[in-house]
Amino acid sequence: MATDVNVKQLSVDMCERLLRDLEKARRPVFQATKCALDNCFYNPKVGYLTPGDKKVATELNVSSVQKMSRAIFMIELILRNLDVGATNTKRELYYISKGEIKHNPALRPLDFDDQDESDAIVDFICEMMECYREDLNCFANDRGGQTYSQQLMVMETMPDGTKATIDLSKLGTAPFQPKNRPQSLKLKAKKKIDFCLIVESEGTANTLVNSGFTKRHPVILLGAQGVPSNAVRGWTKLIQDELDVPCYFFGDLDAYTMQNIFRTLKAGSAASLIRNADFSAPEVKFLGVLPEDIKKYDLPDYAVRENDAVESRALKKARDALQNDPFFKDKKNKGVSDILRWLLQHKRRCEQQAFFSVNPRDPLMPEKIIIEKIKNKNFV
Amino acid sequence: MAKTQSITSASSAEYFSKNLQQVGFSSYTKAALTTLKEAVDNSLDACEEAGLLPEISVTIEKIGEGTAKNSDSIKIRIEDNGPGLEVEDIVKVFGEYLASSKFGRGRCSRGQQGIGISAVTTWAQLTSARGASVITKTEKMRKACQCVVEVDIKHNKGVLKSKEVIDWDRDHGLTCEFIIDARIQLQGEGGLLAYLSGTTLVNPHLTLRYKILEQDWVEVARVTDTIPEIPEATDPHPHTMKLGEFIAHSHLFGRVTIGAWLKKGFSRISDGVLTDLKKAGLKQSLLDTSVDTITEENFKNVFSALQKVNLMAPSTKSVLSIGETAMAKSIQRIGQVDFFAVVSRKPTICDFKPVLVEVAIARLIDRDMPEDGAVTLLRFANRVPLQFDKSACAMTKAAESVNWRSYGLNQPKDSLPLGPYIVAVSVVSPFIKFKNASKETVDASDELVEEIRRTLIQAGQRLSKHIRRESKEADLEKKRQHIEMFAPILVDGACRITRSPKNRRERALEGLAKLLGRDAALAEKELKVAIEHAEEAVMKMEQMTGILPEPPVVEEKPKKKGKG
Ligand SMILES: Nc1ncnc2c1ncn2[C@@H]1O[C@H](COP(=O)(O)OP(=O)(O)O)[C@@H](O)[C@H]1O
Ligand SMILES: [Mg+2]
Repeated sequence: MATDVNVKQLSVDMCERLLRDLEKARRPVFQATKCALDNCFYNPKVGYLTPGDKKVATELNVSSVQKMSRAIFMIELILRNLDVGATNTKRELYYISKGEIKHNPALRPLDFDDQDESDAIVDFICEMMECYREDLNCFANDRGGQTYSQQLMVMETMPDGTKATIDLSKLGTAPFQPKNRPQSLKLKAKKKIDFCLIVESEGTANTLVNSGFTKRHPVILLGAQGVPSNAVRGWTKLIQDELDVPCYFFGDLDAYTMQNIFRTLKAGSAASLIRNADFSAPEVKFLGVLPEDIKKYDLPDYAVRENDAVESRALKKARDALQNDPFFKDKKNKGVSDILRWLLQHKRRCEQQAFFSVNPRDPLMPEKIIIEKIKNKNFV
Repeated sequence: MAKTQSITSASSAEYFSKNLQQVGFSSYTKAALTTLKEAVDNSLDACEEAGLLPEISVTIEKIGEGTAKNSDSIKIRIEDNGPGLEVEDIVKVFGEYLASSKFGRGRCSRGQQGIGISAVTTWAQLTSARGASVITKTEKMRKACQCVVEVDIKHNKGVLKSKEVIDWDRDHGLTCEFIIDARIQLQGEGGLLAYLSGTTLVNPHLTLRYKILEQDWVEVARVTDTIPEIPEATDPHPHTMKLGEFIAHSHLFGRVTIGAWLKKGFSRISDGVLTDLKKAGLKQSLLDTSVDTITEENFKNVFSALQKVNLMAPSTKSVLSIGETAMAKSIQRIGQVDFFAVVSRKPTICDFKPVLVEVAIARLIDRDMPEDGAVTLLRFANRVPLQFDKSACAMTKAAESVNWRSYGLNQPKDSLPLGPYIVAVSVVSPFIKFKNASKETVDASDELVEEIRRTLIQAGQRLSKHIRRESKEADLEKKRQHIEMFAPILVDGACRITRSPKNRRERALEGLAKLLGRDAALAEKELKVAIEHAEEAVMKMEQMTGILPEPPVVEEKPKKKGKG
């Protein structure tokens, strides 16, 4: 399960090393794991992208001394937050810094001209400590992951230690919204849950729930809202691990969805290499839209516009991915890479909402198809 | 005067008088600029042909309201010390369209077609009911001739309105004066001052005096006594011509055989080429026919056979260069210059035409140019400033395609670089292809853009030596400050987090000072090297030009903020 990073200890260790080097007039060097595709490995037994041993080093010199001073200053602010369990957004941290500097003229040289500068320092700290900014109690607006279920119970431990229990069947039409820290949540099923369905479009997830999907079936249904945020990724991983239910992803048939959304959900990303262990759900299957569904259900699809900058970039990326991305290169994911190859060859795409065209008078048609596909093991 | 009348129809004056907007009279501000430009260009051309060092003086006065709304009545007077004109020529030059000594001659002269000054006379006549007032004297004439010339628009003929013989205080020269409806715009890319300073930039041998409106006289003295050598004209190259031009060209030759015409009237056509033409299917009998008798169909046959055979590229001897030395001196006339770089390329062939590209870049001290505005790009075609429609021009495209960042300038993507710089690009060629009739945009063919781009890159490399010195200076200064400012903050923070005692703080501070001191020493060394390079560049420039840019005033510059 997701582990807590002890930021306090890491900070003390880092400063300790810094001082020790300085006392000996030795140049301090800080190494961080390189988070890039050329440092990505994929082991089918593990199931997510793991880092190799490439490092990026930051050494203290006359050019980096400003950045380093800013980092130490920011760490002090963050440690203060962690001590009392307070949280902030990046923007708030920017203003807190401004306030500190205003009241202490000695710090004036550290001053940030704009939020980009202070954001860069927060990111730099994460790199050096190999942690997520949530570990620094610096939260982004949680996006996506609205979850519906009649069977699911969530037990949450609050920052101050108190606990809460949420019964999702008692929320009426309101969804449950997971937070970016999955390690503070525990899950329980009131009754057996058949599967968890992750829908790419949050709107379509809503439609399915409104027409009674979760009333008729003992399932968990959640909307991903595009590229999954850390919250969605950690949450899916938690469901997979704690409840041991099969997870299916339902989304568009196009290169962008395959690479940016589904791959990230299933195996993490190169940018988050160091934390993929906690933020990927390797058991998730791709339910559709599958290439064969187009014929089978006579779905309206359309051609990829190659002169559209966004779409042609996605295709180019797909070509690269088949060659360089260890996830797509591995035999275990042949089903998924076959879809990419099909997309490259046929240059067509089909959206998840196309299932609504199968029988326009029957609002339950998409639900029926989803259930049928799962029953027939019609997924990748 | 050349005999070009065979293609001059009586209606050409009528045509141009109705289409003056096509030849520079599309607005009242442009009318003023075009009048000035046509007269000054002619003076420069005339002096150059006669081997004289030009001295030109310009006066522009407002004498009242214009006849049309929103216009002023403006008197423009241009005096030169050129060879002057014979009386019978004055009438043709100022009163007749398509009368030019430069027509179709394959020279890099400013005027090419004999339209310019007659159009000015027409404009004056239409707006002030008075044509061109001219005083001129050639060396041969005993006294000067003062007269007024008008255009007889119906018959494309010059008309002499009044004529007087007068005493003149000089040996030779020409003064012309026009009263026109116009508006005076001094500043900006399309302003009169941009034309005048651009013209002095690319004519280092020119002494120019001007008095505009209420302002005082300004004199810009010549910086060289060398008159640009006018190279031999080249005959046109068949591969650069269109069919119409090809046929028109034959009219200059009267009764000769096609074969003789081809050899005589074009460059790079030899007997060998005539043999190739026959191999390509052209009959010997056609080559033996006289040009003045053949049909258009046969012209077409000869023309297309010529396009199919391989021809040597034309000679590059016909192009003229301003020269690096002269440009280096001339650019300092534009304003107080911090540093500069000039490049004069060898003549080359682009699109089968001989071309020579030259570039001068200078950074100006205290000009009202903002640091973050685009550089001022000055474009010149055959040493005439181009002041409009810059976006599609080959010179603009080339300048935007250079990666100026690698020479130390700021540059937004695919745009001109930023800063208080003047970037002057001059293209000289006997056959410049313009994008449109108003001759303000040079056609951006790939080959020409690439040649200009290379010249700019060379100039950028030379310039970067100076810029790098400056940035190293700033860099060292920043590094020194960094040590003082950040060392205590960094160490104090780390000590608080680790709850370290005071003596540890002192030791860490000492260690840090040593480390950063080493860095600063290194930066100092780099600066020394950069200074040496820059000084070498200045020395070279001095050897070449005999002058140095004014040393920059050594005063504390305000520290630039941000950018780390
Ligand atoms: N200031 C001058 N002094 C001597 N000759 C001149 C002067 N201005 C014009 N000319 C002669 O008159 C001719 C016609 O001038 P213009 O109508 O402007 O056509 P272009 O400049 O295109 O040849 C020139 O080719 C030149 O021979
Ligand atoms: Mg002219």
